Amino acid sequence: MQEILVYIALFIAVGFLVKKFFWKKSTKKSKSCGDDCACH
Amino acid sequence: MAQKNIKVALIGNPNVGKTSVFNQLTGLNQQVGNYPGITVEKKQGFAKLSNDVRAKIIDLPGTYSLNASSIDENVVIELLLNKKDEDFPDVAVVVTEVENLKRNLLLFTQIKDLEIPAILVINMSDRMKLKGIELDIPFLEQELKTKIALVSSRKKIGIDTLKNLILNYEDLSIEPCLNSSSIDPEYFDKLRKTFPNQLLYKLWLVITQDVNFLNLERNEIKSAFTKSHSDLKRLQQKETIKRYQFINDTLKIGQKIDKSKASGIQAKLDRILTHKVFGYVIFFFILFAIFQSIFEWSTIPMDFIDESFAHFSNYAKTHLPVGKFTDLISEGIIPGIGGIVIFIPQIAFLFLFISVLEESGYMSRVVFLMDKIMRRFGLSGKSIVPLISGTACAIPAIMSARNIENWKERLITILVTPFTTCSARLPVYAIIISLIIPEEKVLGFLSLQGLALMLLYLIGFFMAIFSSWLLDKFLKLSCKTYFVVEMPSYKIPMFKNVAINVLEKTKAFVFGAGKIILALSVILWFLGSHGPTKDFDNAEQIVEKDILANNLVLEPSLIETKVNTYRLEHSYIGIIGKAIEPAIKPLGYDWKIGIAVVTSFAAREVFVGTLATIYSVGANDDEDDMQNTIKKRMQAEINPVTGEKVFNFATGISLLLFYAFAMQCISTLAIVKKETNSWKWPIIQLVVMSGFAYIVALIAYQILK
Repeated sequence: MQEILVYIALFIAVGFLVKKFFWKKSTKKSKSCGDDCACH
Repeated sequence: MAQKNIKVALIGNPNVGKTSVFNQLTGLNQQVGNYPGITVEKKQGFAKLSNDVRAKIIDLPGTYSLNASSIDENVVIELLLNKKDEDFPDVAVVVTEVENLKRNLLLFTQIKDLEIPAILVINMSDRMKLKGIELDIPFLEQELKTKIALVSSRKKIGIDTLKNLILNYEDLSIEPCLNSSSIDPEYFDKLRKTFPNQLLYKLWLVITQDVNFLNLERNEIKSAFTKSHSDLKRLQQKETIKRYQFINDTLKIGQKIDKSKASGIQAKLDRILTHKVFGYVIFFFILFAIFQSIFEWSTIPMDFIDESFAHFSNYAKTHLPVGKFTDLISEGIIPGIGGIVIFIPQIAFLFLFISVLEESGYMSRVVFLMDKIMRRFGLSGKSIVPLISGTACAIPAIMSARNIENWKERLITILVTPFTTCSARLPVYAIIISLIIPEEKVLGFLSLQGLALMLLYLIGFFMAIFSSWLLDKFLKLSCKTYFVVEMPSYKIPMFKNVAINVLEKTKAFVFGAGKIILALSVILWFLGSHGPTKDFDNAEQIVEKDILANNLVLEPSLIETKVNTYRLEHSYIGIIGKAIEPAIKPLGYDWKIGIAVVTSFAAREVFVGTLATIYSVGANDDEDDMQNTIKKRMQAEINPVTGEKVFNFATGISLLLFYAFAMQCISTLAIVKKETNSWKWPIIQLVVMSGFAYIVALIAYQILK
């Protein structure tokens, strides 16, 4: 039983890190400012 | 009876005490997040106005006007123009400051033109008497077509009046204070006739601001009504002048200032704090005092947390049913989390000092003071804000570079900010300094460890300045530059604001990094407790056979240590560590440190958590050892080849220098990519900074070993 819990914990941990660093969220882009907003 | 919810937008210029008003209205009932898709902080909270009415209060980013020049300002405009936005306010609360009413009212008149019910808050009203200011409130209310709340968020005056005005927002006039279309009647008439159902000022903002608002409609408006860029600019200038004429006329009657009382201690303080010699000396001493205090005051709570986690781990080990999951909790999760919780006192003190400097108004003087120096290195005076905020975290610091108007100065600031020592590096510095620098006093009162910490912060800061100078020489970008900085009045920091800021930042640090550390602790423990070969499974028999073959007589505890070490070396983590060992050995690191360095790329503070997990896996199970703290375990770690301490002076200095110069973490790279809109800059940062860190650490170790 404890062994199963360990593997569940490992699965959750790996899943969390993959989601955190590799999952791409779709984002709403603001069209009003580019990377040089307010640069004259 | 159903509860009524009112949406309130808190709007105002920077430094008018908007956040203080927000804190007074909402107390601790706040949520902090980001606007979708962009990295501008979104703060909202709730205030109970009556038994059946609750207000959702949105603290919008500070803006000087509705003419956007930054992403922060766009957020405000996009919200106010889009009635379909879920946060579109029922009422706008425009916060102004009694000493800068003239400038602050520009934004108010623009918001009135949007026909949103607006309340005018005149904050810091407690200073009126001191500054010789008198206001004719009924006259101002009549001219500005609004209701005014005289508030002192510091002294908690006027908050109930404000709540009452919000509660009765439906009684507010939505009539504009002035007719801004008179700047070009013909043009605005045409606009009005073409779009009879649209608000005129909204159309004007859509034309001039190019904000993200109902795309189709914008294209339609723009195709029919776009003037040349210079014509639009001229009209915008005319609009601003017209607004200021109206404000001047209103304040001429509505505001009386006794000039003899207006100047005073502020000017005298400014002369000292921005003095070309004393200004820098005072700034240096303030920084010096901060770093001394961080080390001195944190010792007791840190020791307490360290011991508590060691006991907690031991308790879990002895009281939970024997098995792998119990091992995971006691050897992986608890030491890993302990590795982050222990640094809460130091981080809280750091944020406490930064908040006090910001709240008191001193930070703006530092910006002004540093501009003269910064400009020589291709930076702006405003770069000091990201560089100082970088001591907390590089991510918000890099985002705060948006306030720098010049793109080249902003880019250089973004690229060099990761050299500043962030709070995530503080745990690494703190533990290594405590291992290699003696706990002694210099001149009887200066902590040697505190001095070492300050030196590391200064190294990071000077490296940032030096890199800026290099980048200024090599980057071929030309942008016009101008420097505008607001000098807020000096104030005694409000305890509530400082406390909320410290709490918020510490919480973000602990929970943001804490989740990553917890996940990594689980993975590291698994990798350290499992191995691919029979050497791992049969560690006990192999070690015993070896002892017998060499005719050794060893204490049982020593045999257990040998078994644990052998098992760890043949675990997954041991195999990975051994694979990278040749690359890090010249720097004085063994494979365990190598693993910690690699995992700390997720977040710097993971370094300590990783070592805590690795050493817990490798430790004996007897009572005394289980109560060992992470520091003691690191201190006791011996190199099996040389027989010397692993964390000796040379290795310690090499590690400190590596962490001082190496590129920070994955999240920092991501934010640099986002802010520069290109992978080019984060990749250059990663390669150059980490390569430089490797070379410096290598040289330091080879000289000192």
